Amino acid sequence: MAGEELFYLPVTDLARRIEAKTLSPVDLTQLYLSRSEKFGPRLNAYARLTPEIALAQAAAAEKEIRRGHYRGPLHGIPYAAKDLLAVKGVPVTWGAKPYADQVFDYDATVIEHLNRAGAVMIGKASMIELAGGMNYRFASASLQGEAKNPWNTNCWTCGSSSGSGAIVAAGLAAFAIGTETWGSIICPSAFCGVSGMRPTYGRVSKYGAMALAPSMDKIGPMARSAEDCARIFAVLAGHDPKDHSTLAVDKAAFTYSPSMELKARSLTVGWLTNAWKSVDPGVAKIADATEKSLHKIFPTVHRAALPQGPWDDVGNVIMGTEGAASFRELIRSGKVSELADPLGQINGYVNEQISAADYWQASKIREQLQGKMADLFDSFDVIATVSQPLPATSLDFNLETGLSFPDPLGAIGNLCGLPALSVPCGFTDKHLPVGVQFVARAGDDFGVIQAARTFQGHSDWHKRHPKLI
Amino acid sequence: MADKPEPELRADVASAEGKTRGGMSRREFARRAALASAVASIAPATAVRARTPTFGQSTTQDPPPPAAAAAQNPMPGAPKLSAESQSEADARFQAILVLYGARFSAEQKNDLHRLCAVVQPALDHIRAYKVENGDGPALYLKPQYEREKKPKVAAAPAKPAPASNGPGKKP
Repeated sequence: MAGEELFYLPVTDLARRIEAKTLSPVDLTQLYLSRSEKFGPRLNAYARLTPEIALAQAAAAEKEIRRGHYRGPLHGIPYAAKDLLAVKGVPVTWGAKPYADQVFDYDATVIEHLNRAGAVMIGKASMIELAGGMNYRFASASLQGEAKNPWNTNCWTCGSSSGSGAIVAAGLAAFAIGTETWGSIICPSAFCGVSGMRPTYGRVSKYGAMALAPSMDKIGPMARSAEDCARIFAVLAGHDPKDHSTLAVDKAAFTYSPSMELKARSLTVGWLTNAWKSVDPGVAKIADATEKSLHKIFPTVHRAALPQGPWDDVGNVIMGTEGAASFRELIRSGKVSELADPLGQINGYVNEQISAADYWQASKIREQLQGKMADLFDSFDVIATVSQPLPATSLDFNLETGLSFPDPLGAIGNLCGLPALSVPCGFTDKHLPVGVQFVARAGDDFGVIQAARTFQGHSDWHKRHPKLI
Repeated sequence: MADKPEPELRADVASAEGKTRGGMSRREFARRAALASAVASIAPATAVRARTPTFGQSTTQDPPPPAAAAAQNPMPGAPKLSAESQSEADARFQAILVLYGARFSAEQKNDLHRLCAVVQPALDHIRAYKVENGDGPALYLKPQYEREKKPKVAAAPAKPAPASNGPGKKP
């Protein structure tokens, strides 16, 4: 198979062919590289391609597999890493001009894990500058320019894992690694019509990743299906003595096989009634249809409501304060003015003024919120809603005024470190994808995988892909 | 930005700058800012309801309840705040100008002033949320008991410090 469909095969299918030696990792890598060279620049999807690394890793994988040493489902599979992950000797820009020439002499832990699994890194995915840590007003807030949505190149991919979303949606790699502090995996997954997983905080090491808000930052996979996410997450997860925010060995590790679902519990799903204040009419139609299909798929679905409280405010104070601390030198030196976005150039100064007392107050509320969510998860295994209340926005959209609505589930999920998985659940009249997200209690990453995989077992939205010209 | 000629300032900004340049000491400024902050923090009942964002930090707001909209707000796009909250937002803006004022264009100063007000409702909301003295924050020190003692090595000649600590690395 050398046609367009090959580029959209899930990791699970590619892995079967590679293990059976009917698909060469070198051929696959060359095909993805060549497609990435053609479409990557049109979409502003990459910070850079890494063909030397990719071809060397692919050749090594091929040699090992030929000798009968098959490492597992990512062996020989090409992927892209968000350009905030350190890769030894490769520039890592954090999407921002002040760091355009930055190079580290070590690999991030997730890159080490992927290397050990035999995955093939074909490039660094573009991203919003500093992952949006200084805030931003326009999609162009990136050293690589605005990432264009493969479903409609006049639309944005969402951020901050913008390139990761574009790469997976356009079939430029089999999967990508994204990161989320607040919305940066879930939103691009929804806008780009891919499956994206935000793991429980602390299950994936952040060592070697740019720090934005260290108490909220997480790293996760973006791929073609929930099952792909599960298999990639199993490689990424694990305790890391180099990152003290990682969970203990037994709580961080994750193993996955589809057979786990045969003996899995029957999920109780809560469909959220108050996740979004208002929803775009096209998305609302899809949300209604999704709720109906959940009733058919899962034995128990009830309406659920998030606890009320100033969760967005708490999230903003914590993220803003930690972000200002993470980039304090950038702010104080004045180099923050080199950022592309007019809001990003100045907002750090404001966040730097938030007091420690306010940060501490927010952290106390955060503790209470965890208890409230634990109570909610006593009644539900997973809660669900549409991933975003609107489809992809236009490239010139003012995000500060147009995309700034309350997002209590995003705030709660990221403040409490809850796992989430967004998968496509429909398309608007303008052929833009819409996602549904499943969220579970901390540590129950398998719960969101099971829910999303079950949903995908009854739908084919995730199998659709854009026509690139 | 710092090298750009100072453009003409908007009246209220220019006035504020004048005060700073006119000799208000940092200490005096800090005292006033602290006073404004203290007043705001003990007056949560007057805090306006404002809405905050999803991607990044807060921006747009719902209209405030009429009774709470105590202060007139001349800044387009800024939330209407109580007098106390507006004072605190203004003090925040002044603090930024004291530290970095020469870096900004007039347009950026206006935007900064607005952003200083935009962040205020979030602070008002969290301060109004009831927590007790003994409530723990979602922050814990995790002692590094797992780390093994490093073997002693012979003293090596000092190397120049790297330009950056690197992502995720401790200094």
